Amino acid sequence: MKTLSFLIFGIAVLAQWAAPLSQIWTHEQVLAKGTLIKLKCSAPDPYDPLRGRYLAVRPTESEVAVPAGLKLTRGMQVYAVLTTGTDGFATLSSLSLTPPASGDYLRLKTGYVYNDKASIDWPFDRFYVNEKLAPEADKWLAENIRSAKGISAEVRVLNGRAVLEDLSFDGKPFREILKARVK
Amino acid sequence: MNTSHQRWLLEQLPQWEREGILTADAARTLRERNAVDDSQPGVAQIVMGALGALLIGTGLIAVIGFNWDDFSRPVRLLFAFLPLLLTQLFSFRVLQRGAASAPWVRETAALLQALATGACIALVSQIYNLGGDWPDFLFWWCMLSLPLVWVLRSHAVAIFYLIAIAIWSVNQVEQGKPWFDSPLLYPLLLLGLLPYWPGWKNPAALSLSVRWVMTISAIVGFCSAAVFVSARSGDSYGYNDQSFLWLWTLTAAALALFPLSQSGMEEPTRRKPQVLLGSLWLLGYGVAATFRDVSDDVLKGAAHALQLPWCWGLLTALGVFVLLAAACKRWAVLAIASVALLPLITIPFVENKNAYDSALLSWLVTLHLAAIGITLIVLEFAGKKGAPRLGASLLSVLIIARMADSHFSLLAKGFAFIGVGMAFLAFNILMSRQLKKKQAAAV
Repeated sequence: MKTLSFLIFGIAVLAQWAAPLSQIWTHEQVLAKGTLIKLKCSAPDPYDPLRGRYLAVRPTESEVAVPAGLKLTRGMQVYAVLTTGTDGFATLSSLSLTPPASGDYLRLKTGYVYNDKASIDWPFDRFYVNEKLAPEADKWLAENIRSAKGISAEVRVLNGRAVLEDLSFDGKPFREILKARVK
Repeated sequence: MNTSHQRWLLEQLPQWEREGILTADAARTLRERNAVDDSQPGVAQIVMGALGALLIGTGLIAVIGFNWDDFSRPVRLLFAFLPLLLTQLFSFRVLQRGAASAPWVRETAALLQALATGACIALVSQIYNLGGDWPDFLFWWCMLSLPLVWVLRSHAVAIFYLIAIAIWSVNQVEQGKPWFDSPLLYPLLLLGLLPYWPGWKNPAALSLSVRWVMTISAIVGFCSAAVFVSARSGDSYGYNDQSFLWLWTLTAAALALFPLSQSGMEEPTRRKPQVLLGSLWLLGYGVAATFRDVSDDVLKGAAHALQLPWCWGLLTALGVFVLLAAACKRWAVLAIASVALLPLITIPFVENKNAYDSALLSWLVTLHLAAIGITLIVLEFAGKKGAPRLGASLLSVLIIARMADSHFSLLAKGFAFIGVGMAFLAFNILMSRQLKKKQAAAV
């Protein structure tokens, strides 16, 4: 009985390490080898009771055209090709049910599908900030909400996975802007 | 008799023996019958241990929440894994010491490890700006903590697990979700606690607090599943409330009839929350179904629910529980639980018509509840174990409900209410006198 207890305990300990380590491995791979893309987004400032203050990252592109003949329903996993425009920002194009053979792409989940368009759930939606910087982020967002320059999300993409690396405004990292304001 | 009563009794026995109130044999018999299992932690010990662990764990999570972005990623990851490693080593030591470890230390170790696991996952997702909903986080957190319930027999982690799976189930009630990401998973999640239940190489009964949490968790989880399967089909959005209300009632019946061991059956009803809460819902549902409008909805809901596989699963489980309860002669609970099945008797008689004739069900439920009320009173007077006050209350509520639904004048209703009230008080006085007589005869 004691051996069984130790065996179960050992498996539990391994699982408790494996779950976060697998996340770390996957995301480190994307950060190290992934392509850097930029997305236009907005970022209001909410709070998570377990993980602290964060900026809720909402890429402005929320719908994608569904190609003719492709039947999509809510919650389906799809692949979207990323195309970088002349302004340097990436947009989504050509949805498919299988990963494209070449180019950068994202694995996404569909939301509502209507009028040949599908809303999409982005694989990232938050950018955590230090508790000291969070009130400053609130003030900064209120002051610059109507700015034409806009906030951009810098995302690393590899094999359909995406990791949000940084937020920037007018080419400057968002955290640096906030730190400068706090000083 | 609960553990504190038994401890008090055991403390009195030596003095009673000295005073000659009890013989040595009688005292020994009482000691054997009321032996207290000291391997189970006391409430105060659990509360203190759990509070300490909770404070440390919450403090850890708050420190993580601050977001130390001045440190590099590897340093911050070290913050995440170091507490986890320390708590794992602590639990390992506790496990190694086995019975030599005090129960509250076991509780504290398990809870600390569970909280450190949650803190670790939270910090990793903070460092990599991972999205995802908090129910997903809660799901994986409680899955990774579950083995601690088995190996360290932790009540606190069991309670955390039960609350977490109930909250997760409620949050997964969303149309269009696959079954493995929906509340339909709840029964499997509850089965995850099976090695912790009494009977699995563990003779100790569950504590009252775990029983209450388990019952409430089961109610929330199974009711969420009932709502999920009652989603309207086709393009329409929403849920068929008539349908899931009947499924809730079947769930209540299954809870009330959940098989019990011999010692479980001998325990008072207040120590069986599944029987108490299940019966209360069934009686409330029964009284509501005596109204024509409600019984009409019940029939429509039952007819729709019978097309759902979840409903047939519930009915199968209920069938098995009914057989086991009948074998154990749990007649009172069986009588109350049968209220849930009355629509099944009514449906064949009304289904061929275009409109549901709810009068049949309404009258059937009224007669059935009246029969239960009378039986509960008669059993007591026949010298068997009854529940006369519950029976009288049921009859009173039934009469009030029927009068409220009738077309009698206010004057007639008023006199009827006064009559019922007086009869109820008179019955209460009669029962009190009879109890006094019994007590006097016993002395």
